[in-house]
Amino acid sequence: MYRKKCFGGLVPLPLGLYDMTLGLKIKNISKTWNPDSVNPVVALKNINLDVALGEFVVLLGPSGCGKSSLLYILAGLEDASRGVAEFDGRQIVKPSPERGLIFQEASLYPWLTVKDNITFGLKISGLSASKKEAAAEKLLKLVGLKGTGDQRPHQLSGGMRQRAALARALAMEPKVLLMDEPFAALDIQTRSRMQTHLLDIWQASQASILLVTHSIDEALALADRVIVFTSRPGKIKDEIIVNEARPRDLRSPKMIKLARRCEELLAEEVEKAFKEQETA
Amino acid sequence: MSFQNLVKPSSAIANYLKNGKIKNYFSTVLWTFTSIAIFVSLWEFAWWQGWANPILLPPPHIFLSNLSDQFRFFDPGGTRAGALSTGGSFLSVLGVMGWSSLRVSAGLASGFILSLLIGLGIRYFNIFGRLILPLVTMLAPISPVAWIPVAVFIFGIGNIPAIFLVFVAVFFIMTLATLSQIDNVPKNYIQLAQIMGCSKRQIYRYVILPTILPELFVTLRMNLFAAWMVVLIAEAVGVGSGLGQVTMMARNTFNASLVFFTMTLIGLTGFLFDQALRYVQKKVLWWVGPSTVGAL
Repeated sequence: MYRKKCFGGLVPLPLGLYDMTLGLKIKNISKTWNPDSVNPVVALKNINLDVALGEFVVLLGPSGCGKSSLLYILAGLEDASRGVAEFDGRQIVKPSPERGLIFQEASLYPWLTVKDNITFGLKISGLSASKKEAAAEKLLKLVGLKGTGDQRPHQLSGGMRQRAALARALAMEPKVLLMDEPFAALDIQTRSRMQTHLLDIWQASQASILLVTHSIDEALALADRVIVFTSRPGKIKDEIIVNEARPRDLRSPKMIKLARRCEELLAEEVEKAFKEQETA
Repeated sequence: MSFQNLVKPSSAIANYLKNGKIKNYFSTVLWTFTSIAIFVSLWEFAWWQGWANPILLPPPHIFLSNLSDQFRFFDPGGTRAGALSTGGSFLSVLGVMGWSSLRVSAGLASGFILSLLIGLGIRYFNIFGRLILPLVTMLAPISPVAWIPVAVFIFGIGNIPAIFLVFVAVFFIMTLATLSQIDNVPKNYIQLAQIMGCSKRQIYRYVILPTILPELFVTLRMNLFAAWMVVLIAEAVGVGSGLGQVTMMARNTFNASLVFFTMTLIGLTGFLFDQALRYVQKKVLWWVGPSTVGAL
Protein backbone atom coordinates (compact mmCIF):
# COMPACT_ATOMS: atom_id res chain seq x y z
CA MET A 1 0.00 0.00 0.00
CA TYR A 2 3.00 2.32 0.06
CA ARG A 3 3.29 4.92 -2.64
CA LYS A 4 6.81 3.70 -3.30
CA LYS A 5 5.59 0.38 -4.53
CA CYS A 6 2.91 1.89 -6.74
CA PHE A 7 4.54 4.89 -8.34
CA GLY A 8 8.27 4.65 -7.76
CA GLY A 9 8.02 6.90 -4.75
CA LEU A 10 7.36 10.06 -6.70
CA VAL A 11 3.65 10.66 -6.86
CA PRO A 12 1.48 10.84 -3.73
CA LEU A 13 -1.33 8.36 -3.70
CA PRO A 14 -4.88 9.60 -3.99
CA LEU A 15 -6.11 9.76 -0.41
CA GLY A 16 -8.41 6.79 -0.74
CA LEU A 17 -5.54 4.46 -1.46
CA TYR A 18 -3.76 4.95 1.89
CA ASP A 19 -4.52 2.34 4.51
CA MET A 20 -6.40 4.49 6.97
CA THR A 21 -6.80 1.83 9.62
CA LEU A 22 -3.14 2.25 10.59
CA GLY A 23 -1.22 5.41 11.41
CA LEU A 24 -2.25 8.32 13.60
CA LYS A 25 -5.84 9.05 14.49
CA ILE A 26 -6.57 12.29 16.29
CA LYS A 27 -10.08 12.32 17.64
CA ASN A 28 -11.57 15.57 18.83
CA ILE A 29 -8.51 16.71 20.77
CA SER A 30 -8.48 19.92 22.80
CA LYS A 31 -5.65 21.24 24.92
CA THR A 32 -5.81 23.97 27.53
CA TRP A 33 -2.62 25.09 29.27
CA ASN A 34 -2.90 26.08 32.94
CA PRO A 35 -6.61 25.18 33.07
CA ASP A 36 -6.93 26.10 36.76
CA SER A 37 -5.19 29.47 36.57
CA VAL A 38 -6.72 32.94 36.14
CA ASN A 39 -6.03 33.04 32.40
CA PRO A 40 -6.03 29.54 30.93
CA VAL A 41 -4.63 29.32 27.43
CA VAL A 42 -6.70 27.31 24.96
CA ALA A 43 -4.06 25.98 22.58
CA LEU A 44 -6.09 23.46 20.60
CA LYS A 45 -9.80 23.08 20.03
CA ASN A 46 -11.56 20.04 18.58
CA ILE A 47 -8.83 18.75 16.32
CA ASN A 48 -9.76 15.80 14.11
CA LEU A 49 -7.04 14.50 11.86
CA ASP A 50 -5.86 11.18 10.47
CA VAL A 51 -2.36 10.57 9.22
CA ALA A 52 -2.00 7.35 7.24
CA LEU A 53 1.02 5.12 7.45
CA GLY A 54 3.67 6.48 5.10
CA GLU A 55 1.96 9.82 4.55
CA PHE A 56 3.75 13.17 4.77
CA VAL A 57 1.53 15.75 6.45
CA VAL A 58 2.56 19.31 7.24
CA LEU A 59 0.87 21.44 9.88
CA LEU A 60 1.02 25.06 8.78
CA GLY A 61 -0.08 27.94 10.94
CA PRO A 62 0.87 31.23 12.59
CA SER A 63 3.26 31.08 15.55
CA GLY A 64 1.70 30.13 18.84
CA CYS A 65 -1.34 28.44 17.32
CA GLY A 66 -0.83 25.17 19.18
CA LYS A 67 0.71 23.12 16.37
CA SER A 68 3.60 22.15 18.61
CA SER A 69 1.25 21.24 21.45
CA LEU A 70 -0.37 18.75 19.11
CA LEU A 71 3.00 17.17 18.34
CA TYR A 72 3.82 16.85 22.05
CA ILE A 73 0.48 15.16 22.66
CA LEU A 74 1.11 12.74 19.81
CA ALA A 75 4.60 12.03 21.14
CA GLY A 76 2.99 11.13 24.46
CA LEU A 77 4.84 13.85 26.36
CA GLU A 78 1.70 15.86 27.15
CA ASP A 79 -1.85 14.80 27.88
CA ALA A 80 -4.74 16.15 25.88
CA SER A 81 -7.35 18.01 27.92
CA ARG A 82 -10.09 16.35 25.91
CA GLY A 83 -10.23 13.76 23.15
CA VAL A 84 -7.91 10.87 22.34
CA ALA A 85 -5.02 10.23 20.04
CA GLU A 86 -4.46 6.75 18.69
CA PHE A 87 -1.57 5.17 16.91
CA ASP A 88 -2.04 1.90 15.04
CA GLY A 89 -5.30 1.45 16.85
CA ARG A 90 -3.90 1.90 20.37
CA GLN A 91 -4.40 4.98 22.51
CA ILE A 92 -1.26 7.10 23.03
CA VAL A 93 -0.56 7.34 26.75
CA LYS A 94 3.23 7.61 27.00
CA PRO A 95 6.29 8.28 24.85
CA SER A 96 7.50 5.47 22.64
CA PRO A 97 10.44 4.97 20.26
CA GLU A 98 7.98 4.21 17.44
CA ARG A 99 6.97 7.88 17.50
CA GLY A 100 10.23 9.83 17.06
CA LEU A 101 10.36 13.56 17.82
CA ILE A 102 12.70 16.13 16.26
CA PHE A 103 13.02 19.56 17.87
CA GLN A 104 13.95 22.87 16.35
CA GLU A 105 17.27 22.59 18.17
CA ALA A 106 19.14 19.36 17.54
CA SER A 107 19.50 18.82 21.33
CA LEU A 108 22.36 16.37 21.00
CA TYR A 109 23.92 15.43 24.31
CA PRO A 110 27.18 17.44 24.45
CA TRP A 111 29.01 14.82 26.53
CA LEU A 112 28.57 12.10 23.90
CA THR A 113 30.24 11.76 20.52
CA VAL A 114 28.03 12.03 17.45
CA LYS A 115 28.04 8.26 17.13
CA ASP A 116 27.08 7.71 20.76
CA ASN A 117 24.33 10.28 20.43
CA ILE A 118 22.88 8.48 17.44
CA THR A 119 22.99 5.08 19.15
CA PHE A 120 21.82 6.36 22.56
CA GLY A 121 18.38 4.80 22.16
CA LEU A 122 19.89 1.53 20.93
CA LYS A 123 22.10 1.41 24.01
CA ILE A 124 19.05 1.90 26.23
CA SER A 125 17.22 -0.93 24.47
CA GLY A 126 20.21 -3.16 25.19
CA LEU A 127 21.81 -3.65 21.77
CA SER A 128 25.30 -5.18 21.74
CA ALA A 129 28.31 -2.97 21.03
CA SER A 130 29.07 -4.51 17.66
CA LYS A 131 25.46 -4.18 16.47
CA LYS A 132 25.45 -0.59 17.70
CA GLU A 133 28.64 0.13 15.78
CA ALA A 134 27.17 -1.31 12.58
CA ALA A 135 23.94 0.62 13.02
CA ALA A 136 25.88 3.85 13.62
CA GLU A 137 27.86 3.42 10.41
CA LYS A 138 24.70 2.78 8.41
CA LEU A 139 22.84 5.73 9.91
CA LEU A 140 25.75 8.15 9.50
CA LYS A 141 25.94 7.19 5.85
CA LEU A 142 22.17 7.56 5.46
CA VAL A 143 22.13 11.15 6.73
CA GLY A 144 25.38 12.06 4.98
CA LEU A 145 27.57 12.39 8.06
CA LYS A 146 30.03 9.62 7.26
CA GLY A 147 33.34 10.08 9.05
CA THR A 148 32.04 12.47 11.72
CA GLY A 149 31.04 9.75 14.17
CA ASP A 150 33.85 10.41 16.62
CA GLN A 151 33.39 14.17 16.69
CA ARG A 152 31.64 16.13 19.42
CA PRO A 153 28.31 17.85 18.68
CA HIS A 154 29.81 21.32 19.16
CA GLN A 155 32.25 20.61 16.31
CA LEU A 156 29.38 20.20 13.83
CA SER A 157 27.52 22.93 11.94
CA GLY A 158 23.84 23.57 12.62
CA GLY A 159 22.72 21.57 9.59
CA MET A 160 24.97 18.65 10.45
CA ARG A 161 23.69 18.61 14.02
CA GLN A 162 20.10 18.49 12.80
CA ARG A 163 21.02 15.59 10.51
CA ALA A 164 22.56 13.79 13.47
CA ALA A 165 19.32 14.36 15.39
CA LEU A 166 17.45 12.86 12.47
CA ALA A 167 19.75 9.85 12.50
CA ARG A 168 19.17 9.45 16.23
CA ALA A 169 15.41 9.33 15.67
CA LEU A 170 15.75 6.97 12.69
CA ALA A 171 17.90 4.61 14.73
CA MET A 172 14.78 3.58 16.64
CA GLU A 173 13.05 2.71 13.34
CA PRO A 174 10.05 4.91 14.11
CA LYS A 175 6.77 4.41 12.32
CA VAL A 176 6.08 8.12 12.49
CA LEU A 177 8.41 11.11 12.75
CA LEU A 178 7.06 14.16 14.55
CA MET A 179 9.07 17.22 13.54
CA ASP A 180 8.70 20.53 15.36
CA GLU A 181 9.99 23.23 12.98
CA PRO A 182 13.12 21.16 12.42
CA PHE A 183 14.79 23.50 9.93
CA ALA A 184 13.70 26.87 11.33
CA ALA A 185 17.11 27.59 12.87
CA LEU A 186 19.02 26.90 9.63
CA ASP A 187 19.98 29.31 6.86
CA ILE A 188 17.94 29.16 3.64
CA GLN A 189 20.46 27.19 1.54
CA THR A 190 21.02 24.55 4.22
CA ARG A 191 17.30 24.44 4.72
CA SER A 192 16.36 23.52 1.16
CA ARG A 193 19.18 20.98 1.04
CA MET A 194 17.85 19.42 4.25
CA GLN A 195 14.32 19.28 2.84
CA THR A 196 15.51 17.30 -0.18
CA HIS A 197 17.44 15.07 2.14
CA LEU A 198 14.43 14.51 4.36
CA LEU A 199 12.33 13.47 1.35
CA ASP A 200 14.96 10.90 0.36
CA ILE A 201 15.02 9.48 3.85
CA TRP A 202 11.25 9.47 4.10
CA GLN A 203 10.93 7.53 0.86
CA ALA A 204 13.53 5.03 1.99
CA SER A 205 12.05 4.54 5.46
CA GLN A 206 8.31 4.30 4.71
CA ALA A 207 7.55 6.14 7.94
CA SER A 208 4.82 8.76 8.23
CA ILE A 209 6.00 12.28 8.87
CA LEU A 210 4.04 14.98 10.64
CA LEU A 211 5.95 18.22 10.33
CA VAL A 212 5.15 21.58 11.90
CA THR A 213 6.24 24.76 10.16
CA HIS A 214 5.19 28.33 9.53
CA SER A 215 6.94 28.46 6.16
CA ILE A 216 4.57 28.08 3.21
CA ASP A 217 7.41 27.11 0.86
CA GLU A 218 8.55 24.39 3.19
CA ALA A 219 5.03 23.03 3.51
CA LEU A 220 4.47 22.93 -0.24
CA ALA A 221 7.86 21.43 -1.03
CA LEU A 222 7.34 18.54 1.34
CA ALA A 223 3.74 17.65 2.04
CA ASP A 224 1.22 15.25 0.62
CA ARG A 225 -1.31 17.25 2.58
CA VAL A 226 -0.99 20.68 4.19
CA ILE A 227 -3.21 21.25 7.21
CA VAL A 228 -3.69 24.97 7.81
CA PHE A 229 -4.33 25.99 11.42
CA THR A 230 -6.18 28.99 12.72
CA SER A 231 -4.53 31.31 15.23
CA ARG A 232 -5.09 30.56 18.89
CA PRO A 233 -7.14 28.61 19.83
CA GLY A 234 -5.76 26.29 17.15
CA LYS A 235 -8.41 24.70 14.94
CA ILE A 236 -8.09 23.13 11.54
CA LYS A 237 -8.97 25.86 9.07
CA ASP A 238 -8.42 24.09 5.79
CA GLU A 239 -6.70 21.19 4.13
CA ILE A 240 -4.70 21.51 0.94
CA ILE A 241 -3.75 18.42 -1.02
CA VAL A 242 -0.53 18.83 -2.98
CA ASN A 243 -0.82 16.35 -5.79
CA GLU A 244 2.57 16.99 -7.39
CA ALA A 245 5.57 14.78 -8.08
CA ARG A 246 8.71 15.51 -6.07
CA PRO A 247 11.09 17.26 -6.35
CA ARG A 248 8.67 20.10 -6.85
CA ASP A 249 9.26 23.33 -8.68
CA LEU A 250 7.75 25.94 -6.38
CA ARG A 251 7.72 28.44 -9.25
CA SER A 252 5.43 26.37 -11.45
CA PRO A 253 1.99 27.95 -12.01
CA LYS A 254 0.24 25.20 -10.08
CA MET A 255 2.47 25.57 -7.02
CA ILE A 256 2.24 29.36 -7.10
CA LYS A 257 -1.52 29.03 -7.05
CA LEU A 258 -1.35 26.75 -4.03
CA ALA A 259 1.11 29.08 -2.29
CA ARG A 260 -1.22 32.01 -2.85
CA ARG A 261 -4.09 30.03 -1.39
CA CYS A 262 -1.98 29.26 1.72
CA GLU A 263 -0.93 32.88 2.00
CA GLU A 264 -4.54 34.04 1.96
CA LEU A 265 -5.53 31.56 4.61
CA LEU A 266 -2.61 32.51 6.85
CA ALA A 267 -3.04 36.24 6.31
CA GLU A 268 -6.63 36.04 7.58
CA GLU A 269 -5.43 34.33 10.74
CA VAL A 270 -2.55 36.72 11.38
CA GLU A 271 -4.94 39.61 10.90
CA LYS A 272 -7.36 38.06 13.38
CA ALA A 273 -4.60 37.51 15.93
CA PHE A 274 -3.45 41.14 15.63
CA LYS A 275 -6.93 42.45 16.15
CA GLU A 276 -7.39 40.30 19.22
CA GLN A 277 -4.14 41.57 20.70
CA GLU A 278 -5.19 45.14 20.10
CA THR A 279 -8.56 44.71 21.83
CA ALA A 280 -6.96 42.78 24.72
CA MET B 1 71.64 39.05 1.95
CA SER B 2 68.67 41.32 2.10
CA PHE B 3 67.55 43.19 5.13
CA GLN B 4 64.41 41.08 5.29
CA ASN B 5 66.40 37.89 5.64
CA LEU B 6 68.39 39.39 8.47
CA VAL B 7 65.44 40.20 10.65
CA LYS B 8 63.52 37.05 9.80
CA PRO B 9 63.72 34.77 12.79
CA SER B 10 64.91 31.23 12.25
CA SER B 11 62.12 28.78 11.54
CA ALA B 12 62.39 27.08 14.93
CA ILE B 13 61.86 30.33 16.79
CA ALA B 14 59.16 31.34 14.35
CA ASN B 15 57.26 28.15 15.02
CA TYR B 16 57.77 28.65 18.70
CA LEU B 17 56.27 32.12 18.53
CA LYS B 18 53.48 31.09 16.21
CA ASN B 19 52.43 28.39 18.60
CA GLY B 20 49.68 30.30 20.35
CA LYS B 21 49.69 27.96 23.36
CA ILE B 22 53.24 28.73 24.46
CA LYS B 23 52.76 32.40 23.76
CA ASN B 24 49.59 32.44 25.83
CA TYR B 25 51.26 30.60 28.65
CA PHE B 26 54.15 33.05 28.82
CA SER B 27 51.89 36.04 28.67
CA THR B 28 49.83 34.63 31.57
CA VAL B 29 52.95 34.06 33.63
CA LEU B 30 54.24 37.52 32.80
CA TRP B 31 51.02 39.22 33.84
CA THR B 32 50.91 37.22 37.06
CA PHE B 33 54.42 38.28 38.00
CA THR B 34 53.79 41.90 37.06
CA SER B 35 50.67 41.91 39.19
CA ILE B 36 52.61 40.63 42.22
CA ALA B 37 55.57 42.90 41.50
CA ILE B 38 53.42 46.03 41.59
CA PHE B 39 51.98 45.08 44.96
CA VAL B 40 55.39 44.21 46.41
CA SER B 41 57.08 47.37 45.16
CA LEU B 42 54.34 49.57 46.66
CA TRP B 43 54.88 47.85 49.99
CA GLU B 44 58.66 48.14 49.76
CA PHE B 45 58.32 51.78 48.81
CA ALA B 46 56.18 52.45 51.86
CA TRP B 47 58.82 50.82 54.05
CA TRP B 48 61.63 52.77 52.37
CA GLN B 49 59.75 56.03 52.94
CA GLY B 50 59.29 55.06 56.56
CA TRP B 51 55.47 54.90 56.29
CA ALA B 52 55.30 51.19 57.11
CA ASN B 53 56.66 50.18 60.49
CA PRO B 54 59.00 47.18 59.82
CA ILE B 55 57.96 45.59 63.11
CA LEU B 56 54.25 45.60 62.26
CA LEU B 57 54.30 45.56 58.46
CA PRO B 58 57.64 44.00 57.49
CA PRO B 59 57.97 44.16 53.67
CA PRO B 60 58.68 40.96 51.69
CA HIS B 61 62.47 41.41 51.64
CA ILE B 62 62.46 41.26 55.44
CA PHE B 63 60.07 38.39 56.05
CA LEU B 64 61.55 36.37 53.21
CA SER B 65 65.21 37.05 54.17
CA ASN B 66 65.44 34.94 57.30
CA LEU B 67 63.84 31.79 55.94
CA SER B 68 65.63 29.38 58.28
CA ASP B 69 64.42 31.50 61.16
CA GLN B 70 60.84 31.17 59.88
CA PHE B 71 61.13 27.46 59.18
CA ARG B 72 61.67 26.76 62.89
CA PHE B 73 57.98 27.33 63.53
CA PHE B 74 56.77 24.76 61.06
CA ASP B 75 56.17 21.27 62.20
CA PRO B 76 53.76 19.03 60.33
CA GLY B 77 52.99 16.94 63.40
CA GLY B 78 52.27 19.99 65.48
CA THR B 79 54.14 18.68 68.51
CA ARG B 80 57.06 21.05 68.31
CA ALA B 81 55.06 24.03 67.17
CA GLY B 82 56.12 27.11 69.08
CA ALA B 83 59.34 25.57 70.32
CA LEU B 84 61.97 28.07 69.34
CA SER B 85 65.06 26.00 70.00
CA THR B 86 65.18 23.38 67.23
CA GLY B 87 64.57 24.62 63.70
CA GLY B 88 62.46 22.92 61.04
CA SER B 89 63.52 22.59 57.44
CA PHE B 90 62.07 23.41 54.06
CA LEU B 91 60.53 19.94 54.06
CA SER B 92 58.67 20.61 57.27
CA VAL B 93 57.16 23.73 55.66
CA LEU B 94 55.99 21.61 52.75
CA GLY B 95 54.66 19.11 55.27
CA VAL B 96 52.56 21.75 57.00
CA MET B 97 51.22 22.98 53.66
CA GLY B 98 50.54 19.39 52.70
CA TRP B 99 48.53 18.67 55.83
CA SER B 100 46.35 21.73 55.34
CA SER B 101 45.87 20.81 51.69
CA LEU B 102 44.89 17.27 52.62
CA ARG B 103 42.26 18.52 55.02
CA VAL B 104 40.83 20.83 52.37
CA SER B 105 40.87 18.05 49.77
CA ALA B 106 39.16 15.55 52.04
CA GLY B 107 36.48 18.07 53.02
CA LEU B 108 35.90 19.22 49.45
CA ALA B 109 35.74 15.69 48.04
CA SER B 110 33.35 14.37 50.69
CA GLY B 111 31.24 17.53 50.49
CA PHE B 112 31.03 17.34 46.71
CA ILE B 113 30.12 13.66 46.55
CA LEU B 114 27.63 13.71 49.39
CA SER B 115 25.92 16.90 48.23
CA LEU B 116 25.56 15.38 44.78
CA LEU B 117 24.04 12.20 46.21
CA ILE B 118 21.70 14.06 48.55
CA GLY B 119 20.72 16.54 45.83
CA LEU B 120 19.91 13.76 43.39
CA GLY B 121 18.10 11.87 46.15
CA ILE B 122 15.94 14.86 47.00
CA ARG B 123 14.70 15.14 43.43
CA TYR B 124 14.54 11.38 42.79
CA PHE B 125 12.67 10.27 45.90
CA ASN B 126 9.73 12.53 46.50
CA ILE B 127 9.23 11.77 50.20
CA PHE B 128 12.94 11.95 50.98
CA GLY B 129 13.04 15.35 49.28
CA ARG B 130 10.11 16.69 51.26
CA LEU B 131 11.74 15.58 54.50
CA ILE B 132 15.29 16.70 53.80
CA LEU B 133 14.95 19.90 51.81
CA PRO B 134 13.60 22.14 54.62
CA LEU B 135 16.41 20.94 56.87
CA VAL B 136 19.11 21.64 54.29
CA THR B 137 17.68 25.08 53.56
CA MET B 138 17.64 25.94 57.26
CA LEU B 139 21.16 24.73 57.92
CA ALA B 140 22.63 26.32 54.79
CA PRO B 141 22.90 29.91 56.08
CA ILE B 142 24.76 28.93 59.27
CA SER B 143 28.39 29.99 59.00
CA PRO B 144 30.97 27.21 59.30
CA VAL B 145 32.50 29.23 62.15
CA ALA B 146 29.37 28.58 64.18
CA TRP B 147 29.92 24.88 63.61
CA ILE B 148 33.39 24.97 65.22
CA PRO B 149 32.26 24.21 68.79
CA VAL B 150 29.92 21.50 67.47
CA ALA B 151 32.79 19.96 65.54
CA VAL B 152 35.01 19.96 68.63
CA PHE B 153 32.20 18.57 70.85
CA ILE B 154 31.61 15.69 68.46
CA PHE B 155 35.04 14.94 67.07
CA GLY B 156 37.42 16.36 69.69
CA ILE B 157 40.77 17.79 68.58
CA GLY B 158 42.44 16.52 65.42
CA ASN B 159 42.01 16.19 61.69
CA ILE B 160 38.38 15.13 61.66
CA PRO B 161 36.85 18.39 62.98
CA ALA B 162 38.87 20.41 60.43
CA ILE B 163 37.71 18.18 57.59
CA PHE B 164 34.17 18.32 58.94
CA LEU B 165 34.20 22.12 58.89
CA VAL B 166 35.39 22.22 55.29
CA PHE B 167 32.66 19.71 54.52
CA VAL B 168 30.05 21.95 56.17
CA ALA B 169 31.37 24.96 54.24
CA VAL B 170 30.66 23.30 50.88
CA PHE B 171 27.96 20.69 51.56
CA PHE B 172 24.84 22.81 52.03
CA ILE B 173 25.66 25.27 49.26
CA MET B 174 26.52 22.45 46.89
CA THR B 175 23.31 20.57 47.71
CA LEU B 176 21.22 23.61 46.85
CA ALA B 177 23.34 24.15 43.72
CA THR B 178 22.71 20.52 42.71
CA LEU B 179 18.97 21.03 43.03
CA SER B 180 18.97 24.19 40.96
CA GLN B 181 21.10 22.47 38.32
CA ILE B 182 18.73 19.49 38.15
CA ASP B 183 15.79 21.85 37.72
CA ASN B 184 17.59 23.62 34.88
CA VAL B 185 18.34 20.54 32.79
CA PRO B 186 16.95 21.37 29.32
CA LYS B 187 13.48 19.85 28.94
CA ASN B 188 14.40 18.53 25.49
CA TYR B 189 17.15 16.35 26.94
CA ILE B 190 14.72 14.57 29.22
CA GLN B 191 11.92 14.30 26.67
CA LEU B 192 14.29 12.74 24.16
CA ALA B 193 15.38 10.18 26.72
CA GLN B 194 11.73 9.40 27.47
CA ILE B 195 11.01 8.79 23.79
CA MET B 196 14.06 6.53 23.57
CA GLY B 197 12.47 4.47 26.32
CA CYS B 198 14.62 5.49 29.31
CA SER B 199 13.34 4.63 32.77
CA LYS B 200 13.49 7.26 35.52
CA ARG B 201 16.70 5.72 36.84
CA GLN B 202 18.24 5.74 33.37
CA ILE B 203 17.28 9.38 32.85
CA TYR B 204 19.06 10.34 36.07
CA ARG B 205 22.09 8.26 35.27
CA TYR B 206 22.55 8.95 31.56
CA VAL B 207 21.06 12.42 31.14
CA ILE B 208 20.73 14.43 34.34
CA LEU B 209 24.05 13.52 35.93
CA PRO B 210 26.25 14.36 32.93
CA THR B 211 24.28 17.56 32.34
CA ILE B 212 24.74 18.95 35.84
CA LEU B 213 28.32 17.86 36.58
CA PRO B 214 30.20 20.62 34.70
CA GLU B 215 28.32 23.48 36.35
CA LEU B 216 28.63 21.82 39.75
CA PHE B 217 32.35 21.59 39.30
CA VAL B 218 32.51 25.31 38.61
CA THR B 219 30.52 25.89 41.80
CA LEU B 220 32.96 23.68 43.66
CA ARG B 221 35.88 25.74 42.41
CA MET B 222 34.22 28.93 43.55
CA ASN B 223 33.75 27.41 46.98
CA LEU B 224 37.37 26.32 47.13
CA PHE B 225 38.48 29.63 48.63
CA ALA B 226 35.75 29.50 51.24
CA ALA B 227 37.04 26.04 52.14
CA TRP B 228 40.55 27.40 52.59
CA MET B 229 39.35 30.18 54.88
CA VAL B 230 37.49 27.67 56.99
CA VAL B 231 40.35 25.20 57.28
CA LEU B 232 42.64 27.91 58.64
CA ILE B 233 40.18 28.81 61.36
CA ALA B 234 39.60 25.16 62.15
CA GLU B 235 43.33 24.53 62.43
CA ALA B 236 43.84 27.53 64.65
CA VAL B 237 41.13 26.33 67.01
CA GLY B 238 40.78 22.62 66.87
CA VAL B 239 43.71 20.82 65.27
CA GLY B 240 47.05 22.02 66.65
CA SER B 241 48.91 21.83 63.37
CA GLY B 242 48.77 23.22 59.84
CA LEU B 243 49.04 26.70 58.37
CA GLY B 244 46.18 27.99 60.48
CA GLN B 245 47.88 26.91 63.67
CA VAL B 246 51.13 28.64 62.62
CA THR B 247 49.24 31.85 61.87
CA MET B 248 47.55 31.75 65.25
CA MET B 249 50.86 31.16 66.99
CA ALA B 250 52.45 34.03 65.06
CA ARG B 251 49.61 36.26 66.23
CA ASN B 252 49.95 35.17 69.84
CA THR B 253 53.73 35.72 69.84
CA PHE B 254 53.41 39.03 67.97
CA ASN B 255 55.65 37.72 65.17
CA ALA B 256 54.70 39.92 62.20
CA SER B 257 57.30 38.39 59.87
CA LEU B 258 55.87 34.95 60.48
CA VAL B 259 52.32 36.22 59.92
CA PHE B 260 53.18 37.56 56.49
CA PHE B 261 55.31 34.58 55.61
CA THR B 262 52.43 32.23 56.41
CA MET B 263 49.99 34.42 54.52
CA THR B 264 52.27 34.17 51.49
CA LEU B 265 52.25 30.39 51.80
CA ILE B 266 48.46 30.29 52.11
CA GLY B 267 48.03 32.47 49.03
CA LEU B 268 50.41 30.30 47.08
CA THR B 269 48.76 27.02 48.11
CA GLY B 270 45.30 28.34 47.31
CA PHE B 271 46.49 29.47 43.90
CA LEU B 272 48.03 26.08 43.14
CA PHE B 273 44.85 24.37 44.33
CA ASP B 274 42.75 26.41 41.94
CA GLN B 275 45.08 25.55 39.08
CA ALA B 276 44.89 21.88 39.96
CA LEU B 277 41.07 21.90 40.03
CA ARG B 278 41.02 23.72 36.70
CA TYR B 279 43.21 20.99 35.28
CA VAL B 280 40.98 18.24 36.65
CA GLN B 281 37.93 20.02 35.28
CA LYS B 282 39.47 20.18 31.80
CA LYS B 283 40.48 16.53 31.84
CA VAL B 284 37.41 14.97 33.41
CA LEU B 285 34.67 17.18 32.02
CA TRP B 286 35.87 17.34 28.46
CA TRP B 287 32.40 17.74 27.02
CA VAL B 288 32.13 21.29 28.24
CA GLY B 289 33.13 23.41 25.25
CA PRO B 290 36.49 25.18 25.57
CA SER B 291 34.81 28.56 25.89
CA THR B 292 32.75 27.64 28.92
CA VAL B 293 35.72 26.26 30.81
CA GLY B 294 37.88 29.20 29.86
CA ALA B 295 35.38 31.70 31.23
CA LEU B 296 35.94 30.58 34.81
